[in-house]
Amino acid sequence: MTIVYEARTGRHGVPLIDGVDKVTGRALYTADLDRAGALVGVILRSPVAHAEIIRVDTSKARALDGVAAVLTGADCRVAYGVLPIAMNEYPLARDRVRYRGEPVAAVAAIDETTAQRALELIEIEYRELPAYFESTDARAPDAVLLHDNKPGNVEREVHHDFGDLDAGFAAADLVREHRVCCAEINHAQIEPHACLAEFDPSSGRLTVQDVSQVVYYLHLMLARCLEMDEAQIRVIKPFVGGGFGARVEVLNFEIVTAMLARAAGGKVFMQLTREETFLTHRSRPQTDVVLKLGMRKDGRFTACACEVTQRGGAYAGYGVVTILYAGALLQGIYDIPAIKYDGYRVYANLPPCGAMRGHGGVNTRFAFETLVDKMARELGLDPFAVRRANLLRAPTQTMNGLMVQSYGLAECLDAVERASGWKERFGRMPAGKALGMACSHYVSGSAKPIHFTGEPHAVIHLKLDHDGGVTALTGAADIGQGSSTMVAIAVAETLGVGLDRIRVVSSDTAITPKDNGAYSSRITFMVGNAAIAAAQNLKMLLVEAAAKKLESAPEEIVCDGGVFRVGQGGQAALSFKEVVSAALIDEGAISVKGSFTCPVEFQGGKHRGGAVGSTMGFSYAAQVVETSVDDATGQVSVDKVWVALDCGRAINPLAVAGQIEGSVWMGMGQALCEETRYLDGLAAHASFLDYRMPTIVESPAIEAFIVESKDPNGPFGAKEASEGALAGFPPALVSAIGHAIGVDLLELPATPDRLLEAIGKRRQKAAAAARKQRAAS
Amino acid sequence: MSVELADVVVAQPATIEEAVALAADAGARYVAGGTDLIVNMRRGVTTAARLVDISGIAALKTIVVEANGAVIGGGVEIARLVGHDGIARLFPVIAQAAVTIAAPAHRNVATVGGNLCLDTRCIYYNQSEWWRRSNGWCLKNRGDTCHVAPRGERCHAAFSGDLAPALLALDAEVEIAGSAGRRRMPLRDLYVEDGKAHLTLAPGELLVCVRVTRKMDAFAYEKIRQRGAIDYPLAGVAVGLTMRERRIADLRIGLTGLASYPFLAAGLENLVGREVDDDLLKEIDRAVQRQAQPMRTTLAAAHYRRLAAAAVARRLVARLAA
Amino acid sequence: MHGSARPRKRLLRVEINGRWREDAVLDGALLVDYLRETVRLTSVKTGCDGGECGACTVLLDGVAVSACLTLAVRCEGRSVETVEGLLKQGRPSRLQQAFHERLGAQCGFCTPGMIMASEALLRRNPHPSDDEIRAALAGNLCRCTGYVKIIESVKAASEASS
Repeated sequence: MTIVYEARTGRHGVPLIDGVDKVTGRALYTADLDRAGALVGVILRSPVAHAEIIRVDTSKARALDGVAAVLTGADCRVAYGVLPIAMNEYPLARDRVRYRGEPVAAVAAIDETTAQRALELIEIEYRELPAYFESTDARAPDAVLLHDNKPGNVEREVHHDFGDLDAGFAAADLVREHRVCCAEINHAQIEPHACLAEFDPSSGRLTVQDVSQVVYYLHLMLARCLEMDEAQIRVIKPFVGGGFGARVEVLNFEIVTAMLARAAGGKVFMQLTREETFLTHRSRPQTDVVLKLGMRKDGRFTACACEVTQRGGAYAGYGVVTILYAGALLQGIYDIPAIKYDGYRVYANLPPCGAMRGHGGVNTRFAFETLVDKMARELGLDPFAVRRANLLRAPTQTMNGLMVQSYGLAECLDAVERASGWKERFGRMPAGKALGMACSHYVSGSAKPIHFTGEPHAVIHLKLDHDGGVTALTGAADIGQGSSTMVAIAVAETLGVGLDRIRVVSSDTAITPKDNGAYSSRITFMVGNAAIAAAQNLKMLLVEAAAKKLESAPEEIVCDGGVFRVGQGGQAALSFKEVVSAALIDEGAISVKGSFTCPVEFQGGKHRGGAVGSTMGFSYAAQVVETSVDDATGQVSVDKVWVALDCGRAINPLAVAGQIEGSVWMGMGQALCEETRYLDGLAAHASFLDYRMPTIVESPAIEAFIVESKDPNGPFGAKEASEGALAGFPPALVSAIGHAIGVDLLELPATPDRLLEAIGKRRQKAAAAARKQRAAS
Repeated sequence: MSVELADVVVAQPATIEEAVALAADAGARYVAGGTDLIVNMRRGVTTAARLVDISGIAALKTIVVEANGAVIGGGVEIARLVGHDGIARLFPVIAQAAVTIAAPAHRNVATVGGNLCLDTRCIYYNQSEWWRRSNGWCLKNRGDTCHVAPRGERCHAAFSGDLAPALLALDAEVEIAGSAGRRRMPLRDLYVEDGKAHLTLAPGELLVCVRVTRKMDAFAYEKIRQRGAIDYPLAGVAVGLTMRERRIADLRIGLTGLASYPFLAAGLENLVGREVDDDLLKEIDRAVQRQAQPMRTTLAAAHYRRLAAAAVARRLVARLAA
Repeated sequence: MHGSARPRKRLLRVEINGRWREDAVLDGALLVDYLRETVRLTSVKTGCDGGECGACTVLLDGVAVSACLTLAVRCEGRSVETVEGLLKQGRPSRLQQAFHERLGAQCGFCTPGMIMASEALLRRNPHPSDDEIRAALAGNLCRCTGYVKIIESVKAASEASS
């Protein structure tokens, strides 16, 4: 195993293959596409949080000059949703609205002004129902049900019990429990949602260009909700301005835009405002975690019990998976002999939550790592030592059936301990300053797909023609993470040619093979493997052609730097172009494919929900955060971060470093300042002024280390790199705050008002204790 | 195309007199940098049939630095204040406050007059049309209830300009132009505590310039906000202090973000002659806490804004006295 | 004034990326809409509902401004620069190249605004410190990079110029 610091690898990596388009302004995002002749689509949203829809009258809107189409819930016959078992949402609400901002009607008109006026003319009458904005209220015994088939307003309960919990706690020298509450946060990708849909009435075909991370699911849901044959639909992903899970489910506006295009018999463009983009969010839910941990004097964990309640919002979305992940990801990072997990995914009258970077694992990791830190303090143990006492040994299988084939956490710990000067500095910093640390992990794609079809997890097509250029066709959605670049590198390295010979065409359902999309960090592992397989297949054809031309046997052909020879250093040599020409004889243009499938033994435990958390490889991360706390104003600054991530192997070290920095920073946003806030169910945070993602000013230097554990199944040994480091930041920061000023915050984010309140409480407590002592003496 | 701005007419006068004449009609509004007004118009909380664009009026854009004072035009961009040598020399507190405003691209166009006449802000007001309608509007805009204090009589939206507290501490004077001519008044008289109508300007009046004279020795401004840029102040505190023989000779504390207007803490003259010790700092802390009574106009807790303002006032006094 | 009254337009003369042009614009037209819809310079992005994200940052007479807060008519007789204008014979400028090579752009959506704010900085301060870069880019939000590689990109461009 090697620890690689980006600057010292000698493998700096390559810039993104579409990077020049981005820095020159050539890159076209959905809103930049040619919209000549397009109607403007807009959505009418519910002003109330929970109500029956009594009456809808769109006649005045329809009568307005310039209005081409008006749709309501009556036009939406089919429900949609990302999970086949939980499709309970309509593109436009039917009969009932469940959150403020839920789409109830839509208009396509010749321009924005006309479209907005038409919205004003739509009459909807509501009969209000009680609304619930907190999990506890929604779960109250007398609460009205949001969905009739879900008693107690619980979408899914999970109860998992592994190992002997009682024996574990009995064996502990110290048992502690705490309750933490993490606010709901948002992806807040900078590109607002947008969709351009065109319906051709003569052919009956629909073309949709859109911001999706999941082009195939969108294709599927469009066919479902519009009740169209899938073959009549084409979905194209232009450049996408970030995802982080925001577009990992099909969203109402995408289907609505397509429905408007069909109703109007033409082209409709819809761009949501920033506020609407916030409402259409599917993000990390507000989460309450009660976590209990047993620890021996030497730092060994003996047992863990965890209860998680997620306020999931009004519809199912990814919720079942999120609540399962929250429990499953307690495992696979440390050796814990017994784990009990109870999870509750609760409905509430708020915009539905879903998957966000670090899906499911982040808030439980916060609860876990901060409790470990407090218990280490109590036992006089070093936080690093506690982690080291509980490392796994790969290969291994966890109690819940997760496979761990490569495990570089020990090296991650070493790297950040050394770089941060932990041994010399921890506990010896000036007042108000401190270091904190934590670990985290994440899956490299879910080994069991959401929609099981029996197809491979990933397929890549390669096309080679007279020009000698190799075109890789992939459905994998590049949303800025650099997946197309990864595909190009995987193909080029396997073929032994330069990157300039490779073109990548991605995410056009008429051209590229189906791909499940950009989520759960699946692309590098699955699509990377498929790309390598495809390139190997292509290389075989080229080697055969070279052998034939050189009158040799294929196994004697050596290909290096795009040159084919007989034997190492052989005299007779063919250039790549010559081999291509030879290969095309009699055959013409070559198409090959490669695919990848996760073997069944990786697809998780046999218990109910056991597939969630299953993966072929976990990434691992450790980080140290240095902070300064102003205890007069409660303001926290993050001065420096050291982070190490085991991504198996960095196929593109530059991109890996970028992903590590970005994920750590996103964890910082959640830890420090980001939260959504609802006033009676109205999103009061729905702007970049009130949803406070960090600016560059308070964003620290992040020193990233790459640990390469060479996963046996990963492409070139690689695992995921973009999510694993996120979850470590919040606990590392909150632990650092604890070390700096002696206040253990139990809430996220650590805003100055929360912190000052905690400081005030501690002062009161200290004063009361002092009084008591005085009285006693 | 912003629907809200589609029908607006823009006038671009070259002189103050022309501007005042153009702004006399009902439905006319001045626009300078537009960093507050355009946002509010796009959200539908401010409407205007005519925008009188004063950004081209040279007479509003001068900074005149005198031996012990300065006259700053209402149309001077915030960024110019930040980088101005004379201001930096005589009134560094103005630059200190200016550099905390919004972000560079805003400061490049936003003006002194705009920041002093900034609309008040509230989490129930600075929202979209759909949002406000869904919430039954509010006292400041089309409604009859202040959601912050539903039983109260007035709007509690908070003034959030950063320059005002510094200029109040400097005892600044403003010059106003209107159809009836020019008038001068102390800056503090520009404001009244009503979130719906916090400026004493008559319709069509224009802030021409601010005059400041150096009367005290040391000044400082500190802004409490969650992020290092962009954010409006949760609280902003400007302190002016003159010490004579280790005792307070003059002390002023200007506050923003805590009420519907920026104001000077009252009663500080009682502290003249005192040494700056722990007791005094505690008194300052208490005085600010007593006088700063922020309402729930921000997502951050109102109580926090009060405590933080007091802590900062105390810290700045200690720092300036040292 | 909805309906039949035709909104008032005027002829705007403006130099965009070094070329003068004239277009009829509404009085109330915002620079961002004029650049995107009329001039078709789609690098000027809309990321927020007004003045909060910096994605539409362009240079007006060399000064960074948010195009979403600027009335187009205010640009009469002035120069507007967008990221398209930084190209030299179709090749990326040193600053653009640095953002590309150092991965200052991930999804790329904030990138044109980020580059224009950086360009304004480097023109007045060719060798900025990290903190000066932070101060100059304070209004440009990025959700991908954590800003680390953005600072590296600007530094690389400034070092290349020495």
